[in-house]
Amino acid sequence: MSTVTTYRPSTLAELRDALVDSEGERVAIAGGGSAADWGGAPQYDAVLDTTGMSGLISYNPTDMTVAVQAGMPLATLQETLAENAQWVALDPARAATVGGLVATADAGPVRHTFGTSRDSVIGVTVVLADGTVARSGGHVIKNVAGYDLAKLFHGSLGTLGVLAEVVLRLHPRPAATATLAVPCDAAEAFDLGGRLIHASLEPVAVEYCAGRLLARFDGTAGGVADRLRRARALAGPDAAEAPAHVWDEVAAVSDGSDGDTVVRLGTAPDRTPSLTALIAREAAAHAVTAAMTSSPFAGAHTVRLRGGTPAAHAAVVTALRTEYPATTVCRWTAGLRDELPAWGAPPPAVAVMRAVKHAFDPDDRLGSGRFAPWF
Amino acid sequence: MSWTSELAEVLGRENVIADPARLRTYECDGLTGYRVQPAMVVLPRSAEEVAAAVRVCARHGVPFVARGAGTGLSGGALPVADGIVISLQRLRRVVEIDPVNLRAVVEPGVTNLDISRAAAPYGLYYAPDPSSQQVCTIGGNVAENSGGAHCLKYGFTVNHVLAAEVVLADGSVTRLGGDSPQLPGYDLLGAFVGSEGTLGIVTQVTVRLLATPAAVRTMVADFATVAGAGDAVTGIIAAGIVPAAVEMLDNLAIQAVAASTQSVYTPDTAAALVVELDGPPDDVEEQFAEVQEICRRYGSTKIMVAADADHRALIWKGRKAAFAAVGRISPNYFVQDGVVPRGRLAEVLGRIAAMADEAGIRVANVFHAGDGNLHPLVLYSEAGGQHDRAEHLSTAIAELCVELGGSLSGEHGIGADKACSMPRMFGEDDLATMLRLRSAFDPDGLCNPGKVFPTPRLCGERPGPYRPHPLEEAGVIERL
Ligand SMILES: Cc1cc2nc3c(=O)[nH]c(=O)nc-3n(C[C@H](O)[C@H](O)[C@H](O)COP(=O)(O)OP(=O)(O)OC[C@H]3O[C@@H](n4cnc5c(N)ncnc54)[C@H](O)[C@@H]3O)c2cc1C
Ligand SMILES: Cc1cc2nc3c(=O)[nH]c(=O)nc-3n(C[C@H](O)[C@H](O)[C@H](O)COP(=O)(O)OP(=O)(O)OC[C@H]3O[C@@H](n4cnc5c(N)ncnc54)[C@H](O)[C@@H]3O)c2cc1C
Repeated sequence: MSTVTTYRPSTLAELRDALVDSEGERVAIAGGGSAADWGGAPQYDAVLDTTGMSGLISYNPTDMTVAVQAGMPLATLQETLAENAQWVALDPARAATVGGLVATADAGPVRHTFGTSRDSVIGVTVVLADGTVARSGGHVIKNVAGYDLAKLFHGSLGTLGVLAEVVLRLHPRPAATATLAVPCDAAEAFDLGGRLIHASLEPVAVEYCAGRLLARFDGTAGGVADRLRRARALAGPDAAEAPAHVWDEVAAVSDGSDGDTVVRLGTAPDRTPSLTALIAREAAAHAVTAAMTSSPFAGAHTVRLRGGTPAAHAAVVTALRTEYPATTVCRWTAGLRDELPAWGAPPPAVAVMRAVKHAFDPDDRLGSGRFAPWF
Repeated sequence: MSWTSELAEVLGRENVIADPARLRTYECDGLTGYRVQPAMVVLPRSAEEVAAAVRVCARHGVPFVARGAGTGLSGGALPVADGIVISLQRLRRVVEIDPVNLRAVVEPGVTNLDISRAAAPYGLYYAPDPSSQQVCTIGGNVAENSGGAHCLKYGFTVNHVLAAEVVLADGSVTRLGGDSPQLPGYDLLGAFVGSEGTLGIVTQVTVRLLATPAAVRTMVADFATVAGAGDAVTGIIAAGIVPAAVEMLDNLAIQAVAASTQSVYTPDTAAALVVELDGPPDDVEEQFAEVQEICRRYGSTKIMVAADADHRALIWKGRKAAFAAVGRISPNYFVQDGVVPRGRLAEVLGRIAAMADEAGIRVANVFHAGDGNLHPLVLYSEAGGQHDRAEHLSTAIAELCVELGGSLSGEHGIGADKACSMPRMFGEDDLATMLRLRSAFDPDGLCNPGKVFPTPRLCGERPGPYRPHPLEEAGVIERL
């Protein structure tokens, strides 16, 4: 990689031109850069920086939909929406752009209720490697006309095309919110979380992080107070209401910092306790400090490894992959890439993914190597 | 050996139908105006047999069409003349209800309602509830990304499916999705849901189950005008309330319901809204009062609150029977399925009424108002020679929805019915890009061909109506 060209379009037309002009070059698509490390390390001759495409295209508070350029930071969008007591049902994600969130398929604790960006995106405009501009979906929340390309791009990590514009459905901001924290082990957390759900208390998020179950309730003032009271009664004497900033700890584990390794993976919900035990055992065996945060009922987990050698991190991730091959390494401690393949065993539908990649980007220009060795 | 004999051998003679009289049962779905007789119908008893049948088709280049209960309203399960229909009706086992992991594993021929029935003993249910839920299959729901009255709050099929076992067009079997939505790679499952049977055949589905809400409150609010009811819907949404359901019936629909079942609706009201809230009791009570207040503010003439579960059931019975009930007041009808932004409900209803007047055709409206999904029922008499005029009006209504910033279809799908209208909503490049996805799944185009996408054979050689390219809309390029 001698000289790397950077393209920083600010309009759809400039974006299309950048892809046409860069013909023959391998291109890395960059949003806020907070997840540039996910998966394999791509080969590239040029960077396509989407952060110049950060405009609000249209916002219709009455319909509760918004269209943005994909380089808009989620945080900026949420601020605009807050003025109308609305939000995109995704947790705060500091540097992330809307396009980056779709491309990484990442989500935080409210995924328990609202899923990931896939469940909020109702339309996209994408630009393919050959400059084709295509859209799917639209501006209405209910729409089954044509294939849903937004889903296909969900998790695409910059390998299928550039998300240029994204239309999202919005939700009302709740009038009240409260969090219950319950110190417990993973098995107790899973059990209690299940009881809160079966009691129809409708927690908006249920997260197990650092030895505590966190359950958040959103709703009307009276409703939240009532549910918090009933949840406390179910949870026992150790349960207490916690300040909103307890969720920062979840974000800290999800994100990690320099020198850490961070891994995301999915399991069936009831695997949460055994996964927690597996991580503790492997971390101890390899002298690494592990932290975990889980949305047990979405079956989504993040493991953060800190301290120890790259070889030790590799050993823990390898043990994890033996049981759960579908792990994504989101942050690599220095030297780890030499010790560990970017991905574990491929999913059953890898042949279809490969065919999709070939149909959208036949010359493998975009994010080349991101999914190696799968394709 | 001919491919038909090969199929008979692979599946067993008793599991294939080739007799023209018996084939007739399969020649259409709920869109009964379109009929094609397939060469053969096969009735596999397992996923392996589905795959075996598809392998025979792949080897001989024979097109195949999956079929669930055949309740589809867009001709999605319309057969192909020289192809086969693969019925999934014999794959109807509820494989597992897993209350701990809040999910169910079912075969594709299981009906939507049977999933909730099987989950009920655990206090759980499957949320998407198409009005056809007693008969339609989960396989059909996955293919259509079906919705229902309660999808306003809970989302559509795509938000509730975790995994699917799929037989691909070459007869290989794969799994999309997994134990958790947290998976690396492209969301192929998400792209597959709603692909109308064109990307493969579902042979097993894992769906999420939800806990039954603690409280449910339902009301029917009457309005003196349809526009008033439309504005009230906009008002409820704008107030930041997310009801479980907001449904609208206009007077013609109410008359139809009254003609067919014990009706609880006011016979002479211009429009009625069914609003249901569910969730934790305190939250529901507070917002239920607020919704009543909003309805009154928008001129509601009468509000009836469901007194108990039986009363609520009657309200819903009327609503869910409305399509069928229309048969009582009109010999024939088309069901439309367009969507408009929720702020434009009153406007679109006004324009539909004007178009209906001009065409001299009656249109009844009964629909999912909360998400802007219209179901205009275009009433006509085949015998009276109104078919073409009614069909024209029906298409014009769907295209009007697109013009107002909405969609051709909210839940019934494009199928064979609206394929030729797709260029109204999507440009050439949009459709070509979607076809790249299709080619990745099914390079030979054997899987439910002739659906969703316009083809010259289907739509004639004339180019689709003009629709601006995204770059053109952005003022970047001009078409001269
Ligand atoms: C609970 C939670 C906590 C989080 N905490 C933090 C945090 O503390 N700090 C933080 O910075 N982030 C945080 N994130 C954000 C998240 O983890 C990802 O970092 C984010 O989604 C990536 O966005 P980005 O714009 O930085 O993408 P980038 O890092 O720029 O790109 C990520 C990947 O997406 C691709 N991509 C990006 N944009 C596009 C596009 N327009 N089209 C196609 N492909 C594209 C890239 O090629 C790359 O493969 C958090 C998220 C959650 C849900
Ligand atoms: C009275 C009435 C009310 C209705 N109300 C609603 C409603 O409220 N909401 C709504 O969304 N729809 C509604 N519908 C439409 C219809 O019921 C749905 O589209 C339903 O999902 C179709 O299911 P089915 O089993 O009948 O599928 P079919 O009609 O048999 O097939 C529909 C499509 O799915 C494909 N398909 C079927 N099974 C499979 C499979 N296993 N794998 C792959 N593809 C498959 C077919 O090829 C076809 O393209 C209604 C229909 C009627 C008649």
